[in-house]
Amino acid sequence: MAVSAVHLESDAFLVCMNHALSTEKEEVMGLCIGEHRLADMTGRPMRVVGWYHSHPHITVWPSHVDVRTQAMYQMMDQGFVGLIFSCFIEDKNTKTGRVLYTCFQSVQAQKGSEYERIEIPIHVVPHEAIGKVCLESAVELPRILCQEEQDTYRRIHSLTHLDPITKIHNGSVFTKNLCSQMSAISGPLLQWLEDRLELNKHSIIKLQKEKERLTQELASL
Amino acid sequence: MEVKDDVVFKGEHLLPQQRVCLFMGRLMYSACAKDCGLGAYASIMAASISGYTFSSVCYHSANSSSDHEGFLLGEVRQEETLSISDSHIGSSEFLNVIEVHNHEPCAQLFSFYDYAGNVNEENLNRILKDRRKNVIGWYRFRRNTQQQMSFREQVIHKQLTHILGIPDLVFLLFSFISTANSSTHALEYVLFRPNKNRYNQRISLSIPNLGNTSQQEYKVSSVPNTSKNYASVIKEHGTEFFDKDGVMKDIRTIFQVYSALQERVQAVCCEVDQSERVREKIQEEVNKLKEEIALRKRNSAEEERRLQEAAAVTLPDNPALPDSSHSSLTQVMLSGPSVEPSLERPVNSSSPPIYSTTLLPDSPSAILLPRPQAVGSPGHPSPSLGLGNGDGSSSDSLNRQATGQEDQEEDDDEDSSEYENLVSEQLQLPSLTETVTLGRPATLWPDGDAHSPPGS
Repeated sequence: MAVSAVHLESDAFLVCMNHALSTEKEEVMGLCIGEHRLADMTGRPMRVVGWYHSHPHITVWPSHVDVRTQAMYQMMDQGFVGLIFSCFIEDKNTKTGRVLYTCFQSVQAQKGSEYERIEIPIHVVPHEAIGKVCLESAVELPRILCQEEQDTYRRIHSLTHLDPITKIHNGSVFTKNLCSQMSAISGPLLQWLEDRLELNKHSIIKLQKEKERLTQELASL
Repeated sequence: MEVKDDVVFKGEHLLPQQRVCLFMGRLMYSACAKDCGLGAYASIMAASISGYTFSSVCYHSANSSSDHEGFLLGEVRQEETLSISDSHIGSSEFLNVIEVHNHEPCAQLFSFYDYAGNVNEENLNRILKDRRKNVIGWYRFRRNTQQQMSFREQVIHKQLTHILGIPDLVFLLFSFISTANSSTHALEYVLFRPNKNRYNQRISLSIPNLGNTSQQEYKVSSVPNTSKNYASVIKEHGTEFFDKDGVMKDIRTIFQVYSALQERVQAVCCEVDQSERVREKIQEEVNKLKEEIALRKRNSAEEERRLQEAAAVTLPDNPALPDSSHSSLTQVMLSGPSVEPSLERPVNSSSPPIYSTTLLPDSPSAILLPRPQAVGSPGHPSPSLGLGNGDGSSSDSLNRQATGQEDQEEDDDEDSSEYENLVSEQLQLPSLTETVTLGRPATLWPDGDAHSPPGS
């Protein structure tokens, strides 16, 4: 039973896009947490309902590998969906940049044949405030990047046959990479958080005034 | 001007502003910053925006049922890069860097201008406050429209340039299009420099990112070396770098910097989270109050109407309606957050309320219109037909857009671009339902199926 449509809350959309735009040299991936809306709402807790990954510089359509991966996921959960964000695309002639996103599932045309993708409608649904879970996901990214770097370095560091110069070199690579992460991810993230905080403060003041005005108006009726 | 003709400048014409000194085989060059004439001066534009700011604009746009707009804050720098080549003596390249640091979203459309495109400086200052000095441009997000500035946008842009005193004000246009079945969506963006001549109108916008931090730069083996001298020197002096546990000191130090930064990120994130919850709560309270008010007004209007009808049946001459109920009705119809005076249609008290049965609890600007499914504005041939030939090469339509459909008549522009989903226009809803049924051929897609994905 294919999924009829996917609703992606705008704050989740924000986090996915942040993640996709974090690097143009590799594909990033993550999982989508949500719920299935069935005719009979059973009030099940949130769970993983899909996966997303990025296609930097390449077409938004899933590759054969992507379609196969999606098919595997669907074996565990028929309602599992796949999202792809294509970014860092630019038409040099018109200087037009593009970011695309698509939603798909996989289907087997005939028994034993290759999987094909089927398109699933996806709508980004307005969500005025940014949810706690989304904020936490957003600040998780630098942590994950640092952890990956540490893991790689640890493996290298365990090689004992390296001479001091090579060890110093590797240590510097680690330092350099961490610096890149801080300036490319942590820094801009922190700036965005500060701006958002500022925006919220102003919004709260405005809303507070409006609330007072409306309260008075209601009282006068 | 000291020149050794036979050595360097074989027949090349030197302009008086350039001074070139030849000294001991080194060429020292100094140039003035002004335009020194053909071949000696090239200006390259570069623009960047952080992924977080970009995503934030997308987020605000996604939350708007209508078009969305705001200001771009940042910095414009000019960097001079000197390059000396055989063909151009001392050609100086000026790199104009436009850095977008963040954006200031507008809460609604028409917040600082009116239908004619007249900018209200007071409103502008109220929106920008002390951030006015950081403005370098503005942006607009539209759905299903062409990648070019509308006439009104051009008018507004000129005024902003003048009012803000920024000769090189930029305009970032986001255009959103979807496939007919809504499975795939594209956000296109172009950065315009409308104040320059036609030639130099568009600038590439880059999004700096992690890019090339490759973990493959780690060395897994040392260069083979049997020299005992080498081994002893690097061992003796290399120890400076390591602590007693054999771990590089730098690693610990940089990790501390990272930890401190991450802690701060976490702390600010908590503050943001709190502010989001407070904002959510007050917004809910405001919504409830509005609902309550609308309900009460509706009920009292119903009451009045019933009384009126009852009175009309029993008595030949109707008692005059109390003004207060009428004015409250007109108030509900026309009130909305900072609606421009030009939008309010005066309703005199004797005319019947037109929308008494369709009063919405929320302010008119909250009408949620269905998202247009198809490309192209109603009544116009879809401009994106042929958009993309699968490999990003420019097709006719793209060329049309690039070489400037600014020549289009004003009327045309008004129609197509003012397909801008103007929700704040209370009495005239754009006919979006029409576009829902307009199918969009799947082959319209850039990077379509014809483009076989790289094996991955």
